[in-house]
Amino acid sequence: MKRAWLNRASLTGLLLALGAAMAGCSPRYPMDTLSNGSDFARRIHGIYVFVNWIDFFIMVVVLVVMFLAMFWYSTREGEPGEPSTVTSDIRLEVLWTAIPALILVAITVPTIRTIWATQPDHWPKDALEVKVIAHQWWWEFRYPQYGIDTADEVHLQAGRMVHFSMQSADIIHSFWIPALGGKRDVVPGQINSITYTPDQLGEFYGQCVEFCGDSHANMRLRGFVQSKDDFDAWVKHQQAAPVTPESGAAARGAKIFADAPCAICHTVKGISGLSPQYTGNFKGPDLTHFGSRTTLAGSILDNTPENLAKWIQNPDAIKPGANMPTLGLQGQDLNDLVAYLESLK
Amino acid sequence: MSENVATAGHVAGAEHASGHPGPGLYALIALALVILTLMELAVYYVSFLQPVLVPILILLAIAKFFLVGGFYMHLYYDQKIFSIFFVFPLILACFIGAALLMIFSALEGRLTL
Amino acid sequence: MAAQPQQLPLEHGNYLTSERGIYSWLTTVDHKRVAILYGIASLFFMLIGGLEAMAIRTQLAVPNNTFLSANTYNQMFTMHGTTMIFMVVMPLELGFFANFFIPLQIGARDVAFPRINALSFWVFLFGALFMNVGWLSLALPDAGWFGYANLTERYFSPGINIDLWNIGLLILGISTLLSGLNFFITIVNMRAPGMTFMRMPMFMWAMLVTTILILLAFPCLTVGLIFLFLDRFVGTHFYLVELGATPILWQHLFWLFGHPEVYIMALPAFGMMSEIIPVFSRKPLFGYAGMAYSMVLIGFLSYGVWGHHMFATGMGPVADSTFAITTMLIAIPTGIKIFSWCATVWGGSLRMKVAFYFGVAAVLEFTLGGLSGVMHAAVPIDLQQTDTYFVVAHFHYVLFGGMMFAILGAFYYWWPKITGRMLSEELGKLQFWLTIIGFNGTFFPMHFLGVWGMPRRIYTYAPGMGWDFWNAFETISAYLLFITFVIFGYNLIWSLLRGEKAEADPWDARTLEWAVPSPPPAYNFEAIPVVRGRDALWVDKYGVIFEGHGHRTVPAQGETSGAAVPAAGAHHEAAHGAPHMPAPSLYPLLFALALVVGGIGMMMNWIRIDALAAALLFFSIIGMAFEYPDHGEEHTHQDPPTYTGIDHRKAGMWAFLGSECVFFACLISTYMVYKPRNVGIGAEVLNIPLTSFSTFILLMSSFLMVLALAATQRGDKKWATIWLFGTAFFGLIFLGGQYYEFSTLYLDEHLAMQGSIFGQTFYTLVGTHGTHVAIGVIWLLVMAVASATGRAGKSRALSVEIAGLYWHFVDVVWILIFTLIYLMRSVHNA
Repeated sequence: MKRAWLNRASLTGLLLALGAAMAGCSPRYPMDTLSNGSDFARRIHGIYVFVNWIDFFIMVVVLVVMFLAMFWYSTREGEPGEPSTVTSDIRLEVLWTAIPALILVAITVPTIRTIWATQPDHWPKDALEVKVIAHQWWWEFRYPQYGIDTADEVHLQAGRMVHFSMQSADIIHSFWIPALGGKRDVVPGQINSITYTPDQLGEFYGQCVEFCGDSHANMRLRGFVQSKDDFDAWVKHQQAAPVTPESGAAARGAKIFADAPCAICHTVKGISGLSPQYTGNFKGPDLTHFGSRTTLAGSILDNTPENLAKWIQNPDAIKPGANMPTLGLQGQDLNDLVAYLESLK
Repeated sequence: MSENVATAGHVAGAEHASGHPGPGLYALIALALVILTLMELAVYYVSFLQPVLVPILILLAIAKFFLVGGFYMHLYYDQKIFSIFFVFPLILACFIGAALLMIFSALEGRLTL
Repeated sequence: MAAQPQQLPLEHGNYLTSERGIYSWLTTVDHKRVAILYGIASLFFMLIGGLEAMAIRTQLAVPNNTFLSANTYNQMFTMHGTTMIFMVVMPLELGFFANFFIPLQIGARDVAFPRINALSFWVFLFGALFMNVGWLSLALPDAGWFGYANLTERYFSPGINIDLWNIGLLILGISTLLSGLNFFITIVNMRAPGMTFMRMPMFMWAMLVTTILILLAFPCLTVGLIFLFLDRFVGTHFYLVELGATPILWQHLFWLFGHPEVYIMALPAFGMMSEIIPVFSRKPLFGYAGMAYSMVLIGFLSYGVWGHHMFATGMGPVADSTFAITTMLIAIPTGIKIFSWCATVWGGSLRMKVAFYFGVAAVLEFTLGGLSGVMHAAVPIDLQQTDTYFVVAHFHYVLFGGMMFAILGAFYYWWPKITGRMLSEELGKLQFWLTIIGFNGTFFPMHFLGVWGMPRRIYTYAPGMGWDFWNAFETISAYLLFITFVIFGYNLIWSLLRGEKAEADPWDARTLEWAVPSPPPAYNFEAIPVVRGRDALWVDKYGVIFEGHGHRTVPAQGETSGAAVPAAGAHHEAAHGAPHMPAPSLYPLLFALALVVGGIGMMMNWIRIDALAAALLFFSIIGMAFEYPDHGEEHTHQDPPTYTGIDHRKAGMWAFLGSECVFFACLISTYMVYKPRNVGIGAEVLNIPLTSFSTFILLMSSFLMVLALAATQRGDKKWATIWLFGTAFFGLIFLGGQYYEFSTLYLDEHLAMQGSIFGQTFYTLVGTHGTHVAIGVIWLLVMAVASATGRAGKSRALSVEIAGLYWHFVDVVWILIFTLIYLMRSVHNA
């Protein structure tokens, strides 16, 4: 019987630990789902805490009943005890049908209110429009209001509603920045959308969460929620034409970029590019302002010259199955290309 | 077998053949099926019936369905249990069809093709 | 398909020793021996699935690990899921325990269709091996057990990986469907006299609902897999967006199967828990009626909740709310079950045996899994948690904590009956406590990881996400969990070699399987028992009958229901000598072999191999049907009476037709869903006059069919033969019409399967119906020949009736197709 007590204590302890761990979010967990980065995230957080305590309570009741029964009614080996003849108790059964039903109603009401509140049909005209196009395995973000096309890092304005409309270039992906709210699958052949108002400044991690093939794990993204001024500045910067280097390594790199197959898939405004309407799976990230991004290759590497060189040398080693081919660039050529790309601020 | 009939819960092992109708009724049903099919075709080709085409056709199909199921498959004569085996899945099948139609028609406005 | 009886002398020993030699195992149709085969095979696959789990955990032990490549990792998690679901949990629950104990618990000698039972096993074994063939070149399926389209399409997954998965699952589906059908008819039809539904052991209730779920859920998966097969091999676009189709269709078809599938795995485990807990509490199951009804309710509701797997796909607020409500509803019957188990333990005289430990632990661990399931019913929470490790924690608490714990409990509980030896209690308790630690250590922290946003199915993760510690912790716990299964395996082997010999009733149990010796004789019961109350054996031993909400003592009639005193049915048998047992057969093995050879042929596009397989398939079916030629006119063998008084075969055919209803519902729904999305050639090209003629032909063939049946029942051999040939001939005319229709559509209207989504859904739906007609024609021709040669006379009129039922069903489906597809061709949604 001692062991039963021990077990009960340990399980209850674990549950308490769960409750404690889930009470608040911490900067140590960049993908924490219990967060308050937007109205959507706060609503989910609220329901979660509510349901979590209900679950905790029911679990404790079941555990206590079971372990008390073990403690009181267990018999010793060789003394089997009198068999019982109790078969049922209709009052008890009605009770444990009705009480859970009431609890479920209590959960269902806020659930359905939140469903309708977070899936609006209409949104204000001045809401930020972001077109999300998921590729194997990177994210394309287009801002039709500003004519911006960027990759893997999405910039949002705090306090301004954002409407993501999502499309896939190949297979099903799922767009998710946990700090800002729930996820939405990106389904080919269908436009899905999600709408919320981010209101906490900062850099938030996200990731593709629908299994999408070999490098599913390497399809990450970053969300930047900025103040109005910062966001406007970013927009202005992105809209500007890229710097064209006049001389030095970067200028040589620009020539390599145009000569090598890079330009077939990658756009640098004014130098190379696919049709802006093209969303097929041939497309690589728009590199016009590549140097201003903090990460590369689906947000799995920090944007440093060393990482970029490693990536160009062998994309498949970093992102298995990646569409980007190994070009065989070496030594000086590689360094020049890296210098050019990093200069695209 | 007769001993078992007395035992609780046991139904007599009825002769399957005994309750079935004979060729006369079968022929009558066949005639009814032909007439119903002719009616379907009539409905299909008569232009002023087009607005109510769907409900009429569905009613006629259900009628044929019941004639074949009830008489040719003997559901009308055999033990109830066969009807249960068949009708419950049939209801489920209708439910699946209706649910899928509703779910997909809700998506129609959001297609890219 | 009842087999010719074979007389077995009573003194022949138990089922393991009554026959010997490898050949006896290859041809066995004894449900207990088939169960043993299932058990061995699924324990082997459990080892493989466990090793796959270890590979997964090793890879995830530290961030940026390079133990497995991305693709190998994907293969491991795909096969771990597929293996554990289709090759471990289901075959252990259905193939092993249910197979062994359904006849024993309901007081029968075998299942309804013993040869189909053997067939299910061989098909299962070959199908499972087929899917695992990818090990040879590490080309295992790699798109997840859920195989979401369009990743599974040829363009995105060109290798044979998905082909193995696609064809392998189709083969496994056949096995499961046949088992489900078999067990369903067994429970409905073969209960011992007096065993009403409300006296059945709870495990039997669980199996009854489970088999219904199998019959009505697997067709959806089959349809989905057929579409995938056509996409990959024929070039259709069922899940490709190019012509207007959508990959979401796969998700609907898959989860229409997939959620009932969860209960196909869960309900047998609930049944096991409901057997173990009362026995070791020495107390009847609390709230028997509530337990039975809640099981039925769970089965019923499980068809209305599939959308909760798809909340993130953007179904819209109406569908989201509906599925949220239905999912919440299912928590109520589940709660009833949990509280009833608690109430069963409360106030009992508990015997702390290992089986009981596992039974109680299963309740507790499952409760946690159920509660986290409620969270996912709340759509907003689900939108954060779905596809994270929180879901992995949730369903492992359900599948491992609930199902696997119950299965382990069932091993400790029923092993003595199966083998005649006790398992070691000491080793068992060691295993139990280590399993508790290893299991909770592996899966409880996954709740944390999920809340901290760790996605599922990722082969690697970056450091600094706060996930490192618990991942390492889980990996160590998972190793411990693996070791507990090594202990378990050791215990099984030790018990077989050295274990204490088991008595007939070592646990002082309540149900009929404990009334026979351990291990049972081949014929199970010397005489079929008569059941006078719930907990049939308990009634005999203690003279207490539990019924309704109370109990009463047995009226002193001196009559008992155990094996001791023969029942009324047995007198009938006694007149004829020893129990009749079905004879062994090699055809099930041949059938399974043909199926898997056909699968290989399809995968490799070897037409000749396919033809060979089809011939072998035909040969084995015909062989099985006519295996016992003297089962005809002159030796009228009276099958033992069934509980309902209806024949197994007829009941089986009706249950199969019910399953077919769902199959065609999925096909017709797909057609209707895709019709408005069609671009290009559409329904306007359909030929109404021609198909009207076909409709008349098919209706008239049904008329000829009933005439044939009437003639057979009269014993009129000549006219029976004529009408049967006539029916087959009309079927051939229909097929000829369809051939003409298809060829003109293809050649003149350029309607190709690959060209438009109308073309593909039309050809698939109508072609599938045509295939049914073709099978029917072959069947009718065989029946006609049998009738002409005197093998289908009056005493076998039932065979003609069953063929007729199938034929009429095909006719009925055509009535619907003709209306919905042809006559409504200009209607938007039809």
